[in-house]
Amino acid sequence: MPVKKIGITALVPPELIFSCGVTPFDVNNVIPASRKYPGNKLCAWTAIWKDMLVKKEIEVDSLVVVAGGDCHNALVDGQKAAMSGIPTHFFFYPFDGDPEYLGSQLHRLSLFLGGIKSPEKFKEIGELKKQGQLLDKKRCSGKLSSSEAFRILISFSDLAGDLAGFSMIISDLQEKDIEVRNRVALIGVPPIFHDFHETAQSLDLQIVFDELPYEFIRHGGSNIQEIAVNYCGYTFARPLEFRIDFLKNELKRRRVDGVIHYTQFACHHMLEDEVLREKLDYPMLTIQGDLPGNTPQQVKLRLEAFREMLDRQ
Amino acid sequence: MIGLDVGSTAAKMVWIESGGLKFRITSTHNWKELVEGIDGDEIISTGYFRNSVPHRASLTELTAAIYGVRHYFPDAEVIVDIGGQDTKVIDVRNNNFIINDKCSAGTGAFLEFVANYFKIELNELGSMHAMAKRIPDINNTCGVFALSEMISQLVGGYSKEEVIAGMHYAFARRISYMIPQAHKVVLIGGTVKNEGMVAALMDVLNIDVLIPDEPQIINALGALKYYS
Ligand code: SF4
Repeated sequence: MPVKKIGITALVPPELIFSCGVTPFDVNNVIPASRKYPGNKLCAWTAIWKDMLVKKEIEVDSLVVVAGGDCHNALVDGQKAAMSGIPTHFFFYPFDGDPEYLGSQLHRLSLFLGGIKSPEKFKEIGELKKQGQLLDKKRCSGKLSSSEAFRILISFSDLAGDLAGFSMIISDLQEKDIEVRNRVALIGVPPIFHDFHETAQSLDLQIVFDELPYEFIRHGGSNIQEIAVNYCGYTFARPLEFRIDFLKNELKRRRVDGVIHYTQFACHHMLEDEVLREKLDYPMLTIQGDLPGNTPQQVKLRLEAFREMLDRQ
Repeated sequence: MIGLDVGSTAAKMVWIESGGLKFRITSTHNWKELVEGIDGDEIISTGYFRNSVPHRASLTELTAAIYGVRHYFPDAEVIVDIGGQDTKVIDVRNNNFIINDKCSAGTGAFLEFVANYFKIELNELGSMHAMAKRIPDINNTCGVFALSEMISQLVGGYSKEEVIAGMHYAFARRISYMIPQAHKVVLIGGTVKNEGMVAALMDVLNIDVLIPDEPQIINALGALKYYS
């Protein structure tokens, strides 16, 4: 029997999915290069995956929608996908970081996925995440380009659905020697433009921190109880102050010169911009994206002006 | 060396000759006339088409604006550059900037619609504003809806001059949301030559704004200054 493919809409502990003998497929990963322009939409991310699921352009056996503590657009578009007949489970992170609550959510999820069959996957994924951490360090010191680092880190949400294959991709990466000037952090949800990191790099901005993809490699554990405690630190699901404290440390540790805050049209995270600007003491550029594709000219102008501004500092 | 600013509607060139500032302006599609006989290595370019014209170096119009404005007003705090297709606000104090390039209502294109509607030249809007006795409320922040509101006011009995003044106020309010609190606000860009719009903006912001003699050439000058 072929291994079941489980669509996921955001961070769902892949440790648990693989250990239940099924493979995750992050439905967001196909969007930036999709050139899809959905009709009835707020956020293009959720609108596109919903459309593609309903039209069976993305084929999954079932779907796990991360709703509580993360995204209400996903909650609604997830229900629309469910109404089209896809068996769907809604997964909720606790806003207050209560591990007991998250533990019960993870138990319910494991039941939906058919129960744990290969507990060794917890450890195997833990090892891969250690390699992810290493890659993340390398890009901070110019041994890896930010675009390559991003491509790998963003894939940690579903580990490309193939642990052995993903491990090979990581070990095939060639070290680089890049001069890291204008160190910037990219915070917020990931840009919907597929060439954003390359574009930033071509304008002499080195992204040394990708906020959301970093969440994909920093949580783990060897059983449900452990991941329940650990994933409670998933910053996007927690109060803003929790996330800001975490960001402050990361930005300092990575010695960033400036921060780019990417916001998505019709996404509630846009409302956080003024708070982030006030609390993070770095030059900050806010950009907004809507539909997938190349980085638009208007965004390039802002990036270039931001680089010139960092040059002047 | 020359500074060349090729924007969305006009191309401007600035150079220094016998210690004085010289400039030429033409429409964007005629930009080549400006640089005839000039080696690309002599050009510092800026503006939307900065990378499409020959240049020795290029810089964005945001940085160019800072250098150009500093030449006239070294202690400028905020720069408002009202261009044909977008409006940029630069807070020089903390190196921050905001660009409106999504909505035409706060850009030169909006006033061009108004001038086209009345079949008058863009540069006549200012003098017509001065003749207004009352100023109708035009509240829409969307360019298209503001135009239909303008027509209703005309039908409702306001004169052409008064409605134009109302449109300047609608425009000024739209821009004012982008401008942070400051004492020294400098306006640049071709649209700033419209005294009616400037008067409305000063009234809305409740401050005196500073305007260089030739607001349209500031970015070209800034490009020149940046590299010299
Ligand atoms: S960008 Fe915002 S609205 Fe869109 S899926 Fe992500 S969290 Fe939800």
